[in-house]
Amino acid sequence: MDPYLVSVLSNIGMISFIALSAYLLLLVGEISFGQQAFFAISAYGSGIATAMWGWPFWLGLLWGAAVAGLAATLIAVPTLRIRGLYFSIATLAFAEMVRLIFEIFKYQVEIDGELVGPDGSDGFRDIRYIYDSDISQTEYMFIIYGVLVLVLASFFLLERSRLGSIFRMLGEDPMLTEMQGLNATFYKIMASGMAGVVAGLGGGLYAHLTTYVEPKIFNVMLGVHSLAYGLIGGLGTALGPLIGVGIDIGFLESVRAISGYRMIVFGGLVAVLLIVRPRGLLDERAVYWLRQRVRRLKSDVRSD
Amino acid sequence: MVDFIQNCLDGVMLGSSYALLAIGFTLIFGIMRRLNLSYGPSIMLGAFVGTLLYLEFQADAVVVAAATVAGAVLAGMYVERLCFWAIRQGAAAASMVSSFAIWMQLEELVTVFFPERTYPFPPLTEAEPFSFGPFFIKVENLAMFLCALVLMALLHVVLYRTRFGLAVRAVSENPLAARFMGINIGAVMFWAFAAASALGGVAAFLIAGADAQITPLFGLWATFKGMIAMMLGGMGSIPGAILGGLLLGVVEAQSLWYLGTEYRDLSAYFLLFLFLVLRPGGLLGHGRATRERAATHRV
Repeated sequence: MDPYLVSVLSNIGMISFIALSAYLLLLVGEISFGQQAFFAISAYGSGIATAMWGWPFWLGLLWGAAVAGLAATLIAVPTLRIRGLYFSIATLAFAEMVRLIFEIFKYQVEIDGELVGPDGSDGFRDIRYIYDSDISQTEYMFIIYGVLVLVLASFFLLERSRLGSIFRMLGEDPMLTEMQGLNATFYKIMASGMAGVVAGLGGGLYAHLTTYVEPKIFNVMLGVHSLAYGLIGGLGTALGPLIGVGIDIGFLESVRAISGYRMIVFGGLVAVLLIVRPRGLLDERAVYWLRQRVRRLKSDVRSD
Repeated sequence: MVDFIQNCLDGVMLGSSYALLAIGFTLIFGIMRRLNLSYGPSIMLGAFVGTLLYLEFQADAVVVAAATVAGAVLAGMYVERLCFWAIRQGAAAASMVSSFAIWMQLEELVTVFFPERTYPFPPLTEAEPFSFGPFFIKVENLAMFLCALVLMALLHVVLYRTRFGLAVRAVSENPLAARFMGINIGAVMFWAFAAASALGGVAAFLIAGADAQITPLFGLWATFKGMIAMMLGGMGSIPGAILGGLLLGVVEAQSLWYLGTEYRDLSAYFLLFLFLVLRPGGLLGHGRATRERAATHRV
């Protein structure tokens, strides 16, 4: 496969994780500017596990996601008491704190006569597991999409489950949810932890693809972009954020004619789109309509 | 001790620029109840209009100031129409994301025309910093501090002593009730937004003038510093914006001196986080009682 295509597709895949993570919180009605923090925590965590402790890749990836999920759960306890805009700003403050802590975080060990590990603002080099074990870029792309499909499948299961309905109800009206005898804060903390795990999977995959992470990648721009993807693609289904990522990275980055003006086009596009469809392209109504169509088609086929 | 006091002075002076930014931010938030992320970039656009005149036609400071304010107001009007007026009241998230998209757009627009890192801006003053005892104060910072106070007083008069101000407060309190009273909500929001952008233009002129330069990164800086200062002071409170800005400045100056460069932003965000978790209303966040009293205050 064409290496350029592989790198664009891998990028789309990895950014999809953090977009899905922001989407999960949008479902429960909270806007987070800070999902990049969990992406970063896991990128460092899984990188440390494979490059410094010599763990195998899968274990390192799961470890990173677990640490990110734990961090997300812990941070949700104080921040989810505050609602709405205050929560959004608190997530922003937390994510910037995480980034700035990684700017000063140093933890290095000597492996084969070389110092390996996070080195403050110089970043974390040589997360070479993929290259040492001869996994090609194309194979790694399939690994990324394999994990992504698993995550998407769990999202679809979630949508059909009782928990999914509770999440949507919370996003609609927390007061009504409480009146059903459900603990709104508990479910929000749960959603936050799950979102942390999803972002964490992306972070671990990212660190191993690039072999090098530095704190400034995980800035607030990444967080706000991932939030925007869900709102562009639509909040009706987990495919929404992926459509958003596809539009931004896949379409705009690949069309060379607008390379210097990408943000001018993208910005205008998003602003106009949000006027016409404030909950994105595939919003709840569109998804409902599509489901009806599919059902009708099926019954038509059956009656013929 | 001398260090500590000098740091406080530096902090207050640095904080004046934050306070200037926070005033406009808090005015927009107070009336819209929605966050305008592209506030910083829109006033940056104004500053670049100013710098364009300065570079091309050697315009003097007054013209540059006028151009900066005009550019900021125009950009602000664009943002208001596209991200706030056109998106219905309920969709606060959509407004916020849309204003972020416009931020990206404005920033790229500026970098297309101004690809360098920094551009010169007419300096506010050539005067030497004056000293008393062991302490130093820069003249341009003092000017910023005084301007922040003057603008706050001016805004207070407009909000509490004019019919327009009454309409603004009514819309801010309850848009539906305000509409029943025959107030044109769209127009009030539009002009309040324009006023906030004009304030931002003044802030941009003063801040860029104090540094004698402007960079395309100014937008990001202004949005975040203004937002933090606003949150520390209490959203929607104008004296709070000033206090929040000064507090942020002092904390940054102290941590810069005692802990080092890398802790400067870290302690600012830590302070913000603590405030949000422990006291989300900020220093002067309005309790319900004061808000109701302010709402019924007649002209």
